[in-house]
Amino acid sequence: MAAEVYVTGMGILSAIGNGVEENLYALLHKQPGISEIQMGKKRVKAGRIPLSDTELIKLLDVKQTPVSRTSLLGMAAAREAWGDNRLSPQLRTGLISATSVGGMDLTETFYADYLAKRPADFDVLVCHDSGTSAEHIAGYLGITGYINTLSTACSSGANAIMLGARLIQSGRLDRVLVGGTDALTQFTVQGFGSLMIYDSEWTRPFDDTRAGLNLGEGAAFLLLESQRSLEWSGNQPIGRVGGWGNSADAYHQTASSPDGKGAVLAMREALGSLSPADISYINAHGTGTPNNDGSESAALISVFGDTLPPFSSTKAYTGHTLAAAGAIEAVFSLLAIREGKVWPNLNFSNVIPDTGLVPVTEPESREVNAVLSNSFGFGGNNSSLVFTR
Amino acid sequence: MIARVYIQAAATISHQPVFGVRGFAASLSPLERGSELVQPAYKEYIDPMALRRMSKILRMSITSACEALRQSDIAQPRGIIVGTGLGCLLDTEKFLSNFLTLEGLIPPTSFILSTHNTIAGQISLNLSCHSYNITHTQNTLSFETALIDGLMKIEEGESPVLVGAADEHIPFLDTVAAEWGYTRLQLTSAASFYVLSGQASSESLAEVLDAEVIAGQNGTDESVISGFLERNGLTLAEMDLILSSGTAVKTDVKQMDYTAYSGIYPTASAFAFHYGADYLSSVSGSRYVLIVNRLRPENTGLVLLKSIEA
Repeated sequence: MAAEVYVTGMGILSAIGNGVEENLYALLHKQPGISEIQMGKKRVKAGRIPLSDTELIKLLDVKQTPVSRTSLLGMAAAREAWGDNRLSPQLRTGLISATSVGGMDLTETFYADYLAKRPADFDVLVCHDSGTSAEHIAGYLGITGYINTLSTACSSGANAIMLGARLIQSGRLDRVLVGGTDALTQFTVQGFGSLMIYDSEWTRPFDDTRAGLNLGEGAAFLLLESQRSLEWSGNQPIGRVGGWGNSADAYHQTASSPDGKGAVLAMREALGSLSPADISYINAHGTGTPNNDGSESAALISVFGDTLPPFSSTKAYTGHTLAAAGAIEAVFSLLAIREGKVWPNLNFSNVIPDTGLVPVTEPESREVNAVLSNSFGFGGNNSSLVFTR
Repeated sequence: MIARVYIQAAATISHQPVFGVRGFAASLSPLERGSELVQPAYKEYIDPMALRRMSKILRMSITSACEALRQSDIAQPRGIIVGTGLGCLLDTEKFLSNFLTLEGLIPPTSFILSTHNTIAGQISLNLSCHSYNITHTQNTLSFETALIDGLMKIEEGESPVLVGAADEHIPFLDTVAAEWGYTRLQLTSAASFYVLSGQASSESLAEVLDAEVIAGQNGTDESVISGFLERNGLTLAEMDLILSSGTAVKTDVKQMDYTAYSGIYPTASAFAFHYGADYLSSVSGSRYVLIVNRLRPENTGLVLLKSIEA
């Protein structure tokens, strides 16, 4: 019998709020965080957090610079999840972050100067590599030892939670902060633009007229603890990480297979001994791209058939926050359990005729005991997590 | 659950002529200045059409992954676990230049190939393998964090797994190194992939006893090393060879700075892993090799290998 993995802390900074309670308020009141902003040469709809780097440095009292926006967002979320927990030689504490582009927010500004032969600040390049963001976040909280970063594009945050749970089960760690962080960058805005899947209008997950994603920025962290750690800390569990699965779609470097093979495998593995009927709510990946939502719908029908529980994508609230998405949506999943609510899928009005699937569109009250959260990445990296009461 | 883990196959593409070679450890020479990547015939492993679009890191990684699987006769590993410090730099730089300088439509190819998990993703595509697929990127500890994940998979009953690491050099790194005042470093490219299994066979190169990362602490604290050995019931004096980078370990045991052989790249300890396994399988009487990665002083990676006969 595998050891239980408890969630005892949550932290989040997203376009819909700074902190868990602000995010909850926006979810309940159907307040999206996406607006029209300027990113380099492009004007796009995106979920930007209305705090500048300078404001974040001041708010967080960060002493070490240069520091990337990716690190700063992560510090805010990790600090909230960590709360007033204390480090102790009795407990092995680790930190796993996830990011898709790390310090690219600084690198791309540097590189524009460098290419234009303007004076360029080489010092900011120490923040470029993705691992530095985890080191900065861990350093901010004083955590040393097992520090790690995962980067599997849009499934990274879910994979960080999965790895943290496995490290606790293996006995290597007693507790671990797990999550993800990504700042908005021209690199990703231009990248998804070049793939022709950046919607110039408001993103519409699971809608027949969906035409792509809107990006967002943000970070979220969970504190995971073993039974032993719980006995020492006295923390009250918010829920448990009840299952996880990761599978490669092995279909195409960017597109998902039409039948969602990798997604089906990931969801079935995450369900483990639970039956599909045990799931009260699904927080879908639902990026709003024609390909993802089509493939994910097919996979949901394969796994759940007639017992598909209420489901929604929350990406029309936050934007697609890439490596942070799995962690942000883990917080929303745990809030669904804590609050007894399922979250609306904004901007939905037209059913996809082929699937007939209708997501939740109002914050309905119901008993939520188990939530499945999907995160599917570029290159067919599919991850699913199950959170239970 | 404690599981025993064996290195069943190893393949490295680097500045050393070791690809597909067994028993190289005793005769390898340190790299000379200006050394170059020793590249095998990639087209024996990768479809020529696909090869044309691939950057150096993808060519090296897919080829060494295929070679390791071929050596061990494994078609579908139960996990593809990759570590990379800096990821796909060539495509990252290309996409940066494209969107900063081009007007109008920008080609997506370099963006697609720039993400860190392109390496693991392309390997899964090549093998049509739906197994666990993951990419660790923790600076100089990226190989060790991938290795620990692989050890855990085998403990969980998922064996065999493919574990590897790769980093590619681009000329811009020399510019950065010069700006930062590092003029004597030989920056290199390499990829190493290993098949790890819970079952030993006559082909096993060595056993992996343990691996650990200690980030954010002063890496010259030698008690970290003695504590690691102690939990495995061993002492420093029992090691036959220490492969180290950064600050040397304070000991009389035979010690080698592996970066003199691999050159400098974030996952150079993956080269040391191959060297250590090869050493144990080819130098008779050798029993234990300890790898101490302190390429960055604040981060320590430790890996303990044991010979099959020991």
